[in-house]
Amino acid sequence: MSVLGVNFRRDMEIRRYPVLVYALLPLAALVLQAWLPRVVGPYVWFDLPLVVTVYFALGRRNPVQGTIMGASMGLLEDALSHHAIGVNGVAKTVVGFVAASVGVRIDVENHTIRLILNFLLSLLSSAIFVFTYRVLLGLDLEWRWFTELLRAVGNSLIAMVLFPLLDRLQIKES
Amino acid sequence: MESFFTRYRNLIVLLTILLVQIVGLAVQVRRTDEGRATYEPKDPPGVRLIRLWGEALVAPPERGIQGTKMAVIGVWRNYLDLVHVREQNQDLQKTIDRLRLEQASLLEDARQGERLQELLDFQHRYIYSTLAAQAIGSSGSDQSRVFYLDKGSNNGLRPDMAVITADGIVGKVRDVFPSTAQVLLVNDQTSGAGVILETTRIRGILTGNASGQLEVVRVSADERIKAGEKVLTAGGDLVFPRGLPVGEVEKVARDPDRDGLIDVIVKPAAHLDRLDEVLVITNTAPRFSPEEQQDLATSEVVMGDDATAIKDQLKASQIMAERLPGLIDPNLPPEQQPLLDTSNPNPVSHPPQALRPDRFTPGNAPGTMPESGDSSKPDGAETPKTVTPTTGTKPKAAGPQTARPRTGAPQAAAPAIAKPEREPQ
Repeated sequence: MSVLGVNFRRDMEIRRYPVLVYALLPLAALVLQAWLPRVVGPYVWFDLPLVVTVYFALGRRNPVQGTIMGASMGLLEDALSHHAIGVNGVAKTVVGFVAASVGVRIDVENHTIRLILNFLLSLLSSAIFVFTYRVLLGLDLEWRWFTELLRAVGNSLIAMVLFPLLDRLQIKES
Repeated sequence: MESFFTRYRNLIVLLTILLVQIVGLAVQVRRTDEGRATYEPKDPPGVRLIRLWGEALVAPPERGIQGTKMAVIGVWRNYLDLVHVREQNQDLQKTIDRLRLEQASLLEDARQGERLQELLDFQHRYIYSTLAAQAIGSSGSDQSRVFYLDKGSNNGLRPDMAVITADGIVGKVRDVFPSTAQVLLVNDQTSGAGVILETTRIRGILTGNASGQLEVVRVSADERIKAGEKVLTAGGDLVFPRGLPVGEVEKVARDPDRDGLIDVIVKPAAHLDRLDEVLVITNTAPRFSPEEQQDLATSEVVMGDDATAIKDQLKASQIMAERLPGLIDPNLPPEQQPLLDTSNPNPVSHPPQALRPDRFTPGNAPGTMPESGDSSKPDGAETPKTVTPTTGTKPKAAGPQTARPRTGAPQAAAPAIAKPEREPQ
């Protein structure tokens, strides 16, 4: 239970990063997400803006910031697509809020938990996307859950590698 | 109240942001007359502003990355990877010479086709000018198959321009920004293009499916459609000129929603997943470009004698057509013209009627005349006798089988071997 519970002072710490990291990391995620599909072809089994949203939401442990972060990333993703603005925005808003809320309650330093969280939040994002697109807007959209499953796995693997690297960028309290 | 907002601050912020986005979504979608939901054809101003922000944020780094990539590739290809270039150059030069001759020959045919289309008042538009552009980025989502070009409205791009490569069609310009443009790929689910199967001449609408495959949807089941058949643009969608390669038939699948209809899966001719350089068709015109006209002039010089012979042949065929019997009988009133007679699929023109009919008049052969009661028969005229010939020579028919009797009396069954006793003097 010590893994899941917030029993340690360390778990309650709010992570802080240099301003440049806040500015450049989301931008880099958006740019790479837009550019990498041209390299990997049809195998777009990752969602870097989602991974970054989850990382900051878990680290900051602030639902409002997580919500705003998710909304911003989602809206910018929508802006690059030809879909209606807000489809990804709604999905990532909810994901940011949930990630930050979860981060308050459990220990997110553990790699296994990060892996599972990214997997589940990716699926949640896909589910909200489909719900918004097909139910809320009533638009036609073919859907393949297997691809979404692969994307969730891809996001988890990327998070497993990326999160420890990003942890090194945080400001250490002396 | 303050404690309420403080206590539920997180939830209120979440619901507010969600509500704003959902209202924004509702503005962008409308219902058609058939009750289907669809996007507004044009983005509202606020939506376009967000798209501009997104493009302005992401396009410059993408342009930098793409520029760096192309520079590295350029250095490698132009200065380092030059093995066998001389041999390739010679082969290419030979190919160019051969293609020039072929092109000159084909352009002559094409121009003749264009003249005929003008005669038929059919306007077929040819690709007149194109603009080369680099693909610098994508939407990043397989649910939105769009990519961005490094050229925009400043370079003359406009929405709905066709985007192609040398291999085949790619998509159409969907949205244009000052220095970039968004291209909707043909394999997106919301895309659509009119296509025609090259051999079977079956037309259909090309779109994409969830897997990013191209498919011609809702085609009537036809056994003639086989894998490998080429698919071309049909030219009726006002985006792609006619005859551009799209791909080839990969397989045929039954339409899951409609009985008797099939979906034709098409393997794209262009590499839609990995595009670097594309051509945007910026102008089409019903005439050839100056370069093509120059080639045409060259072809006329090269093939001068042949062209003259073809023209002579055309003239000769026109003269022959004028001399051949037509379907208009100058001796019949307009309402009885055989051309208007729909009962006979093969109308035959009739010989003019004789002013003074006799037994040699077609239809009045001996034995074909009624024996009595013919009021039109001249008074005192003898009825010719029918004599069975004693010789074995085959008699000639008395007249055309379609010849009608001069009178309104029913025509007697004519003996097949009727022949006059002696030849007329």
